[in-house]
Amino acid sequence: MHLKIEKRATQGITILACHGRIMFGDEANLLRSVLRDVLTTNHKVVVDLADVNHLDSGGLGMLVGVRSTAKADGGDIKLSGLGQRLRDVLQITKLVTVFDVYDTEQQAVEAFGATSA
Amino acid sequence: MGVTPSTGPVSSAGSSIFPTLVFVQGNEQRTISLDHTPFTVGRKVDKDLVIADPRVSRDHAIITSENGQFSVQDQGSKHGTFVNGERIQRKTLERNDRLEFGVRDISYVIFNPQHATSNTAREFLSQISGIQISTDTTDLEKLTLFLEAARKLNTIGVLDEILVTLLDLTLKLTRAERGYVFMKTEEGGLRLAAGRNSKGEPLLDDKTISHSILEETLKSNSEFVITDTSRSLDLAGRQSIVAYDLRTVICMPLKKPQVQTTRDAATPLETGSEAMGVLYVDSRFASRDISSVSNDILRAIATEAASLIENARLVQAEEAARRYQQELSIAASIQQRLMAVTIPEVPFAQLRGRNLSCKEIGGDFFDAVNTAEGLAVVLADVSGKGVSAALLASTLQGMIYSQLAVGTPLVEIVTAVNAFFTHKHIGEKYATLIIARIRKDGELEYVNCGHVPPLLVCKTEVIRPPHGNLPVGLLAEATYSSDRVSLHTGDRLILVTDGVTEAENARGDFFEDHRLEAVAGKSSSMEDIFAALANFCGGTPLSDDCTVVELVYSG
Repeated sequence: MHLKIEKRATQGITILACHGRIMFGDEANLLRSVLRDVLTTNHKVVVDLADVNHLDSGGLGMLVGVRSTAKADGGDIKLSGLGQRLRDVLQITKLVTVFDVYDTEQQAVEAFGATSA
Repeated sequence: MGVTPSTGPVSSAGSSIFPTLVFVQGNEQRTISLDHTPFTVGRKVDKDLVIADPRVSRDHAIITSENGQFSVQDQGSKHGTFVNGERIQRKTLERNDRLEFGVRDISYVIFNPQHATSNTAREFLSQISGIQISTDTTDLEKLTLFLEAARKLNTIGVLDEILVTLLDLTLKLTRAERGYVFMKTEEGGLRLAAGRNSKGEPLLDDKTISHSILEETLKSNSEFVITDTSRSLDLAGRQSIVAYDLRTVICMPLKKPQVQTTRDAATPLETGSEAMGVLYVDSRFASRDISSVSNDILRAIATEAASLIENARLVQAEEAARRYQQELSIAASIQQRLMAVTIPEVPFAQLRGRNLSCKEIGGDFFDAVNTAEGLAVVLADVSGKGVSAALLASTLQGMIYSQLAVGTPLVEIVTAVNAFFTHKHIGEKYATLIIARIRKDGELEYVNCGHVPPLLVCKTEVIRPPHGNLPVGLLAEATYSSDRVSLHTGDRLILVTDGVTEAENARGDFFEDHRLEAVAGKSSSMEDIFAALANFCGGTPLSDDCTVVELVYSG
């Protein structure tokens, strides 16, 4: 397991700061279960990937799947802090058109404020 | 009662204590354990053996047993019951007899076929348990020897033989008339695993066994010993004891052996030892000898038997795991064969592809189809690894191949594939893929669905077209478009999976696009890409499949 997840809340939004990598298998399973758990009480989540160096197809599939669940409940999962590699992955898969991606956690949180206002 | 093939934990084909019926129908065959009688055969669904054929009567025949002999009896069927080709009303069965019920030839039953391995395990066991036994060795010592030998014999299929030999020796030791081992089923009931009488003949479950005692023993997880039932007043309610005049009944739970290291030292060992079956011995006469065998010894037998059964079960579980592995490797080889592409020969282009597999079966595939619309090639990478990815890859490959073969436009193909996979809700699985189709005049149409962008190599210039769509199978609402490029003679289109760009070396660096582009621009051979990749990775094993496909337009 090469993933640690820090959970904090600000302005009614849950932030999951990930450290390590999000790959098919253990890591994706962990993040999925944490996300599902959070979504039972809060539909507005920012996943901060500033300290994530690798996100594979399995991890990506998981994020899209959980995001669809959040969307169906009127919430969203926004991403922040993506490094160049992760940006490339989202660019290649055109998932930049699906996810709201922000440079910083704070911007992602503020974006929620703007949409929920 | 339906028929279940004898694949349960205790009986296995060829070595069962019960006679087996091998039912052959067309190309299929299954083994049925004849563990109860009468055993019914017919077209009705409640038969033990249901043969769905109009020539088979609803109540066609039964198999009965008496004194260890099995007979088949016709139940007034329309088309008759045959044994070895002869129409019969009733006939005692011999090993290897061929039974036919109404239908001739295409379905038949072989009664208790002789297997090459049959009985050998038991003979071997009795041989080794007989070795170096002097005349003054007690039965108990013999039993100990036998148990030790049996424990070493962790061979598959031996469990039934172990139980039978155990029963024979227990009967000898206790001088009881009948002995049975019942195993607990998953539903919590009891299933007969072995039964013997003191003459060494196999016994089936019958009503004269006190089932209330069996169930109570299992429930209470404690032994039940009555040496003279006539003196016990509380037995009035136990039908079989009263009806069959059972005087001596010994019933011991077979307790699952405990792994002591995982247990809290303060917890008494006994409490957690769940009963996994019951050893049952009875006699119709009050046994004077039985009192000479102390309960401790019988308890020891039960404990030994339990640990033997547990060992054999572990071996069987291992065997099951091994078979599962075998199935997986068969699946892998099927996938490899599906992956094997017959590359169409066309005068205007050359196509080559190569796949370097990491150990696990994975979700990469490429395929090529030549039609009037042009030469089409597809390269796909299904997310995840293992069997689920391989399964999805095969389905995807089949869908795309069939649509390419009938000349469906590329955008329609990926739209249909996406609709199919998102409609099926297969969870977070999806695929990235590129389909490209080149016409004779050099016009190339391709659709990229979330895949690593292709490399377009014109002389030494490497172009990475930015065109792309979402992967297939991820979002139902995704829409797709294609891109077109005109190729000139000598231009190359190179498709790779992300296993190539994400190949890692020992330092944790990735091969990445710039290295791929550099080697693609420098060399005109696909092999050089693999050479560069191998050189980069050094000894670091691949963590993902690497597939490279190269299309050269020759005009």
